[in-house]
Amino acid sequence: MDKLLEILQGIRPDVDFVNETELIDEGILDSFDVVSIISEIDDAFGVQIRINELDPENFNSVEAIWSLIQKLK
Amino acid sequence: MAFFEFNNIRVAGVACAVPKNVVESESYKPIFGDEEVDKFMAMTGVKVSHRTLEHQTCSDLGYRAAKELLAHKGVKSEDIGALLFSSHSPDYRRPSTAFVLQYRLGIPEEAVCYDISLGCSSLVVGMQTMASILSTSDMKYGLLFVGDTAGKSVNPNDRSSAMLFGEAGAVMLMEKTQDSTDEVKALIRSDGTGFKYMIIPGGGYRNLHASEDVEMCADGNERSLMNSFIQGASVFTFTIFDVPRLIKDFWTKTGTTPQDYDCFAFHQANLYILKQIAKKTKIPFEKMPITLDRYGNTSGASAIVSLCDVYGGSTEASTIKVMACGFGIGISLGATSFEINTADILPIMEDDEIYAEGLITYPNQLYEKK
Repeated sequence: MDKLLEILQGIRPDVDFVNETELIDEGILDSFDVVSIISEIDDAFGVQIRINELDPENFNSVEAIWSLIQKLK
Repeated sequence: MAFFEFNNIRVAGVACAVPKNVVESESYKPIFGDEEVDKFMAMTGVKVSHRTLEHQTCSDLGYRAAKELLAHKGVKSEDIGALLFSSHSPDYRRPSTAFVLQYRLGIPEEAVCYDISLGCSSLVVGMQTMASILSTSDMKYGLLFVGDTAGKSVNPNDRSSAMLFGEAGAVMLMEKTQDSTDEVKALIRSDGTGFKYMIIPGGGYRNLHASEDVEMCADGNERSLMNSFIQGASVFTFTIFDVPRLIKDFWTKTGTTPQDYDCFAFHQANLYILKQIAKKTKIPFEKMPITLDRYGNTSGASAIVSLCDVYGGSTEASTIKVMACGFGIGISLGATSFEINTADILPIMEDDEIYAEGLITYPNQLYEKK
């Protein structure tokens, strides 16, 4: 998960990804951020997150994103 | 697999025209706010785009480009055996805009003319269709028109699209030769599961008289059924996953590598997407011309706009190998390769001419004697 945190912080250094659990619900990440994260995850983990996985719940926290990656691996 | 290979077709020249009217992305700051516009410009690369006048069409721009290209090449209208207008921006609901262009250019009745209804992939698919027509007929020359006026159907308050699109009309002259080294190759794919990703839901025959009432959509943008919808995240995932796969498959099928090409004239979707595609395919980004900053996303014309921007007016004539890639609405995507002499790539023209005879504003105009 450290690698994922590194990716997220690279995209949005101003966000506290360790503690934040409402990244989407609170509007902290916008669609530009999400597509950037999806692309970086593909590069780093070889996981392609498709449209049917673009549920906000999957992107609300670093744990949720990590779970999605594990599910799709 | 829809892979096509022609060994007797060459691209004889390309040209394009854009409207004179310029819109700066900065001008949207009072509507969308400074932060939103700055972020948009950084992400998409679009700073300026050219937009048509109210009654100016993509075919008006293509007409100007075709006139200049035919004159440059010394090819007469009567030598054109096929005319294709590959676009989502026809002059009328019917007939095909190809017939209007045939009439305006004085192309003979013996020619085959029709429209292909495609957007961002219109160049690649149009080239494949034109090459197929020429290689299986007794015709020597074909004119392929591409481009769109996508901005006309965008709600001005739609922050996802209002700043993105530029407008352009482009033309490619294709020629059948006796030289087997004149190669055009194309790999095409289609994914109808994404037909709603980019759509104008009303105005077609499914819902001809759709309401033009504007609603606030779930993505926070105002649109009516007659406006253009883009589901950005859906489109993005397709472009970053499926387009690189198509490109790599094209190289495998053609036995080529990125080093075999001088120029990657790719659809100017947006800057971030192009960077992602280059990164995932290891295409040297410096070989991928970018015109988003000055012309926006010009749909199917964008690959030719980029070629004209880089090579147009070049004083040194040399043959370059081009890989073009188009992807978008449909979902439709394709890659193609061809060679072209840089002397046959015309500079970008600006034009505001409107075809007066084509503008019909009241029913009985059609019954008036000339």
